[in-house]
Amino acid sequence: MNLSSRKTMWKVAALSVAVLTAVTACGSGDGGEGGGGEGGKTTITFAYWGSDARQKLTEQVIAKFEEKNPTIDVEGDFSNWDSYYEKLATKVAANDAPDVLSIEIRGLSEYAGRGALADLAGKVPSADLDQQVLASGQIEGKQYAIPTGVNAFSMVANTAALEKAKKELPEDTNWTWDQWMTLAQEISAAGGVTGAEYNFNPAFLQIFAAQRGEKFYDGNKIGVSVDTLKAWWAIHQKLIETKGSPDAAKSAEIGATGPEQSLLGTNAGAMGMWWSNQLNALTKSSGSEMTLLRMPKPEGATTGGMFLQPAMFYSASAKSEHSAEGAKLIDFLVNDPDAAAILLSDRGLPTNSKVLDVVKTKLPETDQKTLAFIDEVKSELSPIQVPPKGALEMEDILKRNSEEVMFGKATPDAAAQKFLTEANAAIAG
Amino acid sequence: MPRGSRLLKHLLLIAFGLVMLYPLLWMISSSLKPEELIFREPGLWPSEVTLDNYGDGWTALKHSFGYYLWNSAVITGLSVLANLVACSLAAYAFARLNFPLKKLWFTIMLGSIMLPHHVTVVPQYIVFAELDWINTIWPLVVPKFLATDAFFIFLMVQFIRTLPRELDEAAAIDGAGYWRVFLQVILPLCMPALATTGIFTFIWTWNDFFSQNLYLTNSDNLTVAVALRQFLDSSGESSWGPMFAMSIVSLGPIFGFFLAGQKYLIRGVATTGLK
Amino acid sequence: MSESISVTPERALAPKRAPDQPPGRRRRTPHVNIHRRREARAAYVFLAPWFIGLFVITVGPILASLYLSFTDYSLLEEAKWVGLGNYTEMFFEDDRFITSLKVTTIYVVVSVPLQLAFALGLALALDRGLRGLSFYRSVYYLPSLLGGSVAIAILWRKIFGTDGLVNGLLSVFGIQGPGWVSDPDTALGTLILLHVWTFGAPMVIFLAGLRQIPQSYYEAAAVDGATKLRQFRSITLPLLTPIIFFNLVLEVIKSFQSFTQSFIVSGGSGGPVDSTLFYTLYLYLKGFKSYEMGYAAAMAWVLLLLIAGLTGVNFLASKYWVFYGDTK
Repeated sequence: MNLSSRKTMWKVAALSVAVLTAVTACGSGDGGEGGGGEGGKTTITFAYWGSDARQKLTEQVIAKFEEKNPTIDVEGDFSNWDSYYEKLATKVAANDAPDVLSIEIRGLSEYAGRGALADLAGKVPSADLDQQVLASGQIEGKQYAIPTGVNAFSMVANTAALEKAKKELPEDTNWTWDQWMTLAQEISAAGGVTGAEYNFNPAFLQIFAAQRGEKFYDGNKIGVSVDTLKAWWAIHQKLIETKGSPDAAKSAEIGATGPEQSLLGTNAGAMGMWWSNQLNALTKSSGSEMTLLRMPKPEGATTGGMFLQPAMFYSASAKSEHSAEGAKLIDFLVNDPDAAAILLSDRGLPTNSKVLDVVKTKLPETDQKTLAFIDEVKSELSPIQVPPKGALEMEDILKRNSEEVMFGKATPDAAAQKFLTEANAAIAG
Repeated sequence: MPRGSRLLKHLLLIAFGLVMLYPLLWMISSSLKPEELIFREPGLWPSEVTLDNYGDGWTALKHSFGYYLWNSAVITGLSVLANLVACSLAAYAFARLNFPLKKLWFTIMLGSIMLPHHVTVVPQYIVFAELDWINTIWPLVVPKFLATDAFFIFLMVQFIRTLPRELDEAAAIDGAGYWRVFLQVILPLCMPALATTGIFTFIWTWNDFFSQNLYLTNSDNLTVAVALRQFLDSSGESSWGPMFAMSIVSLGPIFGFFLAGQKYLIRGVATTGLK
Repeated sequence: MSESISVTPERALAPKRAPDQPPGRRRRTPHVNIHRRREARAAYVFLAPWFIGLFVITVGPILASLYLSFTDYSLLEEAKWVGLGNYTEMFFEDDRFITSLKVTTIYVVVSVPLQLAFALGLALALDRGLRGLSFYRSVYYLPSLLGGSVAIAILWRKIFGTDGLVNGLLSVFGIQGPGWVSDPDTALGTLILLHVWTFGAPMVIFLAGLRQIPQSYYEAAAVDGATKLRQFRSITLPLLTPIIFFNLVLEVIKSFQSFTQSFIVSGGSGGPVDSTLFYTLYLYLKGFKSYEMGYAAAMAWVLLLLIAGLTGVNFLASKYWVFYGDTK
């Protein structure tokens, strides 16, 4: 008994050890990638987020870059938006950060401020870029990020839906919030579609606050006053009351989704506020023509408060061993017309004037429209603010406190105080 | 059972099944609608049927979707094998053998599944990065060969403990050692537990987005779970139609595995071994 | 083998001896020590892969997270020692932590018994005695395949949204239902239902467990004239207790760690108004969105202690209601 038992025992043990060694050997066998050297080629990684369409474009643009720079191999590190930062943070923490990475303005301070990003000034030529937009990638005089292109948060209207309710497209240079709310109410009352969908996007509050002479971020503090928050929520509440918008629950439901499932996107609403690069998705999913409008203002306001925001930035890791190659890639992406001819407006409308001239005619119709709109409002825009650390949390904090008000779980006064406490704590950290 | 009550039971099961399956039916119907109609037309019945989403979805990414199915299949297959072997070995020891500090080790084993993985992911990543295993399948597979899925050890311990000890003893009297008892007595009687382990490992690995997304970053290494997420971009434009279509496609292998596995699931002591 | 056949349910039911005690035969052998040592050696060989995994892969990161729980760690910078700071902040200053604890507790207390009852009921219904059961089993398992899918957020809205299936049915009776998913008062309820809906895993384990009960017991009981209900109570239920126990322990652990459903359905926010802010979701947000990984690690260890305590209670209580076949 013992003999056979021991024999089998050793056999199994030997087998499992063999499997393990085989497995581990294979695992480390093909290591050594990511280093340099092999045949004089340098491999760099480039992290970005997006959808299938962007992945395809990016693969193409990478191929083009490698064609022009035969000594550099670019490995695309793609992630969907929802898990982008968790992955990036893990890699930075493990000292395995991608050489080149995409980042948006809200995460910029987080990563730059904590020393994860390299100063790109002088490494990536930026003379042809829109200097005001370029400044949004600077913190304390260092160019941590190069903007890819721009967006504006604006009012989007479904032209056909307005016509159906026998309403004209409003004259947007001087329209007020009251006019907008009345219009929404009237469209809803006309039956068929809902007048407007509201949102709790910090960009909306930022514009609204600017119109009242307040900054969203004032240094390392929230500059929005309690009164402004209350006035802002009053707009939402009035829309619910007058049925210009769906009720709080339905609005929360829509608010949790993207453009495709929004009222505008499903032809169930006439107006909403979106980033200008979402115009494409809205047009495609609804099959209707959409028009970009300026945001309404309070009566007598002197500034429109709208601003251009970089859709995203390219940055380089501070610890990258191949910073020269990384800079080359970024340079190619923002300054080379060949890159722009592939990417078009995928990462926002290009801000490089020379590039833009080349690709202008190639842009699809919706983008042409956005470009025209941005050109038109450009002179009225407010400067861009780089939000401090903790800005990634702002959207959640604002939404949570706003919903407390809408669902009657807190008074506007209490919620405003709470928002300020939480928001200030988030950016102080 | 009388015929009437049998019929009633069938009807109940079907009606209830339909309610359970409503979301799936909606998803199938959506995958057959032209993409722009998916959210405009909320009803279950498509007014217009098209297979475009399947065609588009299959080719939308860098590789055809079959490529990702294969990647997933490799990782999943190895994981199933690994868990079956490693976890049953450990389970037998915990359930049947005596050794010093057994209670302590058992507690540690259970404890290891109680810590949310979000806080161990960074240190773990560092370990695998040190081994130079990033962008290989080893971080996903090797731990399973080392029985780190303690869930399944516990599962099998519980199953083995339902078996009467007289079985082992009878075999021991016949001259069988531990390995023969394990291989010839315990394992065959644990078919349901092994099938459960296999099925769950398959499904969970197939659907495991978090670690696959983290460790397989190169676009040539992506798996189905990661590829499916690529259709969606909450910050911009999403391809809902292809996403639904490919979700249906990716249900195929797991459902198939479940169908195959469930034969063994019900082959317990009741139908084999003890009579 | 004929010895074992005579194990009657009644004998199996009676917990006579602690499970870990070795069978009598061994106690009487003269070479006790040799046997013990041989058995222990065999055990360690069987456990070898697990031990390697434990020390190489599992233990390091767990200890690291314990260390990090005493630090201020942003992931992007070096960790700074703060002693018990994270722990005191959690219990005395963080309202959302308390909220998340409450939300999770309600979720566990309501959904685990519901799901297990549901799974056991269906497992019994689908066990045997009807044609086409394997078909039904597969169909009923399908929801669990979908449970973690990205599409689930939309599917759930299709059922519990303002214009969803449930409100559609209610409107037939003239009732205007709320927007279940997005109303803070009902959102958690829909997630509980989502959990119950993915009953497939415990159902499968129950099914497998039912098959471990020798048919002969039922035959013997039927000869003795026991009714179906009596058979269920004296054979099925007691012999299934190890499996019920397993499902209970595991579901408690898993439910306390629930993350995906809330993450996907609420779009990662735990909203509306924190009504679905699960403990692990909050932990995740702290770690990866607020860049306070030290705090997240501390939360994880508090959760570990909580779950371990509950599991310990579960194990202690199990002595009174769980019966193992290996206790003679």
